[in-house]
Amino acid sequence: MVYGLSTDPSNFEPHISTGAASTSVKLMCYSTLLTYSPENEIIGDLAEEFGWVDDTTYQLKIREGVTFHDGSDLTVDDVIFSLQRIQNPDTAATNASYFAEVTDISAGDGNTVNLTFSRPFQAFDFILANTNSYIVSKAWIESGVDPKTTMMGTGPFVFKERIPGVSITLEKNPNYFIEGLPYLDGIIYQPMPDDTTRMTAVRSGTVDFADYVPYTQMDIIQNDPNLTFAYDDVSGFGWIGFNHEMAPGSDVAIRQAIAHGMNRDTMVTTAFAGHGSPITGGLIPEGMIGYAPDLEGTYTGDYEKAKSLLDEAGMNPLEFDMVSTSTYSVIQRPAEAAQAELQNANINAKLELQEWLTFRQTVADGTFPVHSWGTAIDYGDPDFLWNYFHSTGNMAKQFRFSDPDTDALLEQGRFETDAAVREEIYHDLQAHALELLPWVPSIRRVQGEAMQSFVMGYTHLPSWNPITMRQIWLDK
Amino acid sequence: MGRFIARRMITLVGQVLLVATIVFLMLRLVPGDPARAILGETASEEQVASMRTKLGIDRPVWQQYVDWLGDAIRGDLGKSIISGRSISDDIMSRLGNSSELIAISVVTSLIIAIPLGTIAALKRNQFPDIALSSIAMLGLSLPGFVVGTVLVLLFGLKWKILPQARFVEFGDDPVAHMKLLILPGITLAIGNAAVLLRMMRSSMLEVMRQDYVRTARAKGLTDRRVITSHTLRNAINPVVSLVGLEIATLLGGMVIVEQIFNWPGLSTLLMSGVLSRDYPVVQGVVLVIAVITIIVNVIVDITYAVLDPRIRLA
Repeated sequence: MVYGLSTDPSNFEPHISTGAASTSVKLMCYSTLLTYSPENEIIGDLAEEFGWVDDTTYQLKIREGVTFHDGSDLTVDDVIFSLQRIQNPDTAATNASYFAEVTDISAGDGNTVNLTFSRPFQAFDFILANTNSYIVSKAWIESGVDPKTTMMGTGPFVFKERIPGVSITLEKNPNYFIEGLPYLDGIIYQPMPDDTTRMTAVRSGTVDFADYVPYTQMDIIQNDPNLTFAYDDVSGFGWIGFNHEMAPGSDVAIRQAIAHGMNRDTMVTTAFAGHGSPITGGLIPEGMIGYAPDLEGTYTGDYEKAKSLLDEAGMNPLEFDMVSTSTYSVIQRPAEAAQAELQNANINAKLELQEWLTFRQTVADGTFPVHSWGTAIDYGDPDFLWNYFHSTGNMAKQFRFSDPDTDALLEQGRFETDAAVREEIYHDLQAHALELLPWVPSIRRVQGEAMQSFVMGYTHLPSWNPITMRQIWLDK
Repeated sequence: MGRFIARRMITLVGQVLLVATIVFLMLRLVPGDPARAILGETASEEQVASMRTKLGIDRPVWQQYVDWLGDAIRGDLGKSIISGRSISDDIMSRLGNSSELIAISVVTSLIIAIPLGTIAALKRNQFPDIALSSIAMLGLSLPGFVVGTVLVLLFGLKWKILPQARFVEFGDDPVAHMKLLILPGITLAIGNAAVLLRMMRSSMLEVMRQDYVRTARAKGLTDRRVITSHTLRNAINPVVSLVGLEIATLLGGMVIVEQIFNWPGLSTLLMSGVLSRDYPVVQGVVLVIAVITIIVNVIVDITYAVLDPRIRLA
């Protein structure tokens, strides 16, 4: 299968995120302990059994008979080594912070690994299923190989070669631990960073599969009888954020005015030609613990309410500088749509667009009072909000946001073992967040892949985990 | 000639050093951190700091400069801090691809521009001149990304004559490789030919006003003889000079064309280096482009002298 890839992966380091495009390559060579079923449920992958054996001990039973691509056996030692590598600050692993509560990782009886926690971390299944939690070979890493430039795991495909800027070639792993898989003989990834070129390539049949369909081409792809479009409109979301130590975002009334000052339905049309959905309530989507239908419709675009809040604050009309990035249209377009919408509420956001890394530096430095950003839900548990709302969360720290009540709710949610209680906690958290507005959620976007109609077996998961690629076959 | 080349080579070293130093320092002034590029958007400040140490970019700038320069002088451009690959290897593989594309586009544009520019000058203010000047203006006005995208949509999607295909090396499949070169070559040639045509036309008009041309005509030489022996040779100098500049500009300035046609060239490498703040890659690519630019300029100067013996390379 030929795969048109939206970004040439910067490198193959297994424990540091290098973006969604490179994940679809890395996940075919490496495996994780847990993964997702086509129904988007967590299932075992390298671990055949998993879960909490008591409040603070998480146990994994590792599959037997699994081999790495070099022929060596997967052992408990490899699993422990991989998890410790993630935990090690020197690795600077993307998932390191999720291992903060892990006090010990050790081998148990009969091919099991036990992780001891200082407190139970309810979202840990999702962390192990995350595509930055790969299991690597201890001997291979310790041999001095540079894992940025090559790959060697237990995944369905074996890394054959990379020609920078041209292609990455993977071949079928005949010894894959799931019998019968993969169906494909191999995958050739062709980096095609230009959206038009990539979509033209899939439309003309030059490639069989292409990731990241831009919103401008979604209708064309959906209406093409030779193509299939697999997508979700749940994960990708945008927001208006603040430096909470700087006016006007330091005033909650102003944040509420901004939240009321945007009709998100209009924004979805303006930004993505309708390929998205408004966020009028909590950020937790339907189907996830904590989804709060009663909070939907809290912010629908009430310009008069926004103006009255500005009047009360003595700041009508309101003007501020807002920064966003021109590098990604999925962030730039909602920023421009928000700017247009806010004018209806006498709010003039002077928008400055910066290149991606400059923008991120600007937000980290807190030099702009307001920013417009977008990303995706990190994992399918409401604990993902920690990063954005908790005073120790990496994003919250950049926003200079800290609220003891919010922290307390997030901590209760993370360490509570009763699912029903967690539902209530996250409902309360969202209600509180909609009142306090650490930042203002705006719209969700559609994200998906295009493929020839003969490409079978692939399911686009809302978690954006591309594991179902291992069961693709070509019906031609 | 030998003394001239030797002197230019000595100047070259100074110029390259200057360019390298400026680029090194400017990169450090640009906001944005390679550690953030590597770690992703949710990285903590502690992780960013740890990665900066790992990359060695937390050291004083002068120390980084001395280390880099020392390695560069020994011919070691180092490894990319993002991809871990050898920068020299990446540059070499991409330089060949870029050179091919530039050569095709420059040769094509010269083949178009010299005769048509000459015709436009000879038929000044007549229909051929007006028509050619209008076409040249159109070529100048159309940005490369518009021409490229239209060509992809027409030839790749609608007519399926030249579908978007995987890049193949010339050695692996010469026919497929040359087919891949056609559309990007045309895209670049259209813009270049328009510039060169206008330059050729105005240069010809300038030369045709010279006394020696009038004298040649007074001597009773045929139009053909006047043009080939007296006018064309003198008029072509500014065009040669412009070609030299175009080559230097194209080396690092073909990002859009390379991306549209999936041509793995030097511009894309430079661009991705800049966007991810991959300092060693940017420094390496700019260094190579600087050296090539200066060498091309030396060649242009020598070509001047060959074309016009009045110019002395003293």
